[in-house]
Amino acid sequence: MAPAEKRTRMQWEIALPNAWRGGEEDAARTAEPAMENEAFAAFYSRSARPLWAYLARSSADPALADDLMQESYVRFLCAAGAPSLATDGEAAARLYLFRIGTNLLRDYWRRPRAASIEEIPEEFFAVHGGAAQSEAQILLGPALKQMKPRERQMLWLAHAEGYSHREIAKVMGLHAASIRLLLFRARRKIAGLLRGSGAADGRRS
Amino acid sequence: MNLTSCPYEKEVRQLMARGQWPDACPAELRAHVGGCRSCGDLVLVSEAFQQARVESVAAARPVAPAVLLWRAQLRRRNAAVERVARPLLGAQVFACAVTVLAALGFAGFEARNGADWLTWSFWQDWLAQLPQAAASQWDGLSSGSLAGSAWGWLVLVPVLATVLLLGGVVVYLATDKQ
Repeated sequence: MAPAEKRTRMQWEIALPNAWRGGEEDAARTAEPAMENEAFAAFYSRSARPLWAYLARSSADPALADDLMQESYVRFLCAAGAPSLATDGEAAARLYLFRIGTNLLRDYWRRPRAASIEEIPEEFFAVHGGAAQSEAQILLGPALKQMKPRERQMLWLAHAEGYSHREIAKVMGLHAASIRLLLFRARRKIAGLLRGSGAADGRRS
Repeated sequence: MNLTSCPYEKEVRQLMARGQWPDACPAELRAHVGGCRSCGDLVLVSEAFQQARVESVAAARPVAPAVLLWRAQLRRRNAAVERVARPLLGAQVFACAVTVLAALGFAGFEARNGADWLTWSFWQDWLAQLPQAAASQWDGLSSGSLAGSAWGWLVLVPVLATVLLLGGVVVYLATDKQ
């Protein structure tokens, strides 16, 4: 052990060295870390914003997306079975991260709350700092609000992130065959809503 | 619901992924998308989501990665401490179980041998005599005649020891929880 590292250790860690590592199983992990800090920082800078966008649009709550994004990364770093950037590649790590985020969202929706997701005001759909709402925002926000949470997730993963059916199935913990049908229905539904709101806007103007 | 996808859908999706839709796309395909509902839905939804993604990604304000690394390290440490504490809890539970079993065994043994202190009438009599007995014990202790109050000591010392022991256990468990 390096002297600098020794100095930073607390007394109980010196008395119980395996406790710090969490036993022999984790000792190997600490000795050969799955992800160096620099590699993680680079991965984080590339994946944090897309993950936040996914969580914010699926939950319609930017503050919740902030919390869930941080929790997703902490769980990713703590998970024993998380894919390594060096061996499994960034795509696998990103997929795993989106899966954690999806599970966290599901847990959040399952918890009893004072207000349901459908009661969240429309202002939550607004992006931070945007002076004026774009055309896509004006059309997509209300349409997304009428979709079920799972449909929002699927549509976002397919059309915003460009994931295949198999990848979406991995993220959402469903069968790839069911994704095809569910996605087809969700796309038809939101297209109808977008066309409807577009036509309504056209009539108003 | 008809799930048969349009044969052009894959091509349209690839063009959109490459950013070639609609400018760098053949005119026939554009005409097809105009008339095909499946491809039309795909284009409409993909364009809306892509635009929303650009806006949302720009709106994200992620914290510094060092904060997350620190939080993850803290959580791993806490998990390690919990792992260490788990056998201690097991030992406490085992000790409690052994004590309860010993007490039950002793009570069973006494009951089988016809101990009268297990009857309700014994305790009623004992409670009735308690004030007089306490007064006489106190007199014995204050007078300093140890030989006369030998039985009193035999009762008093184990009771005090038990109270102290139980108090210690309660304090330990309370601080352990905190």
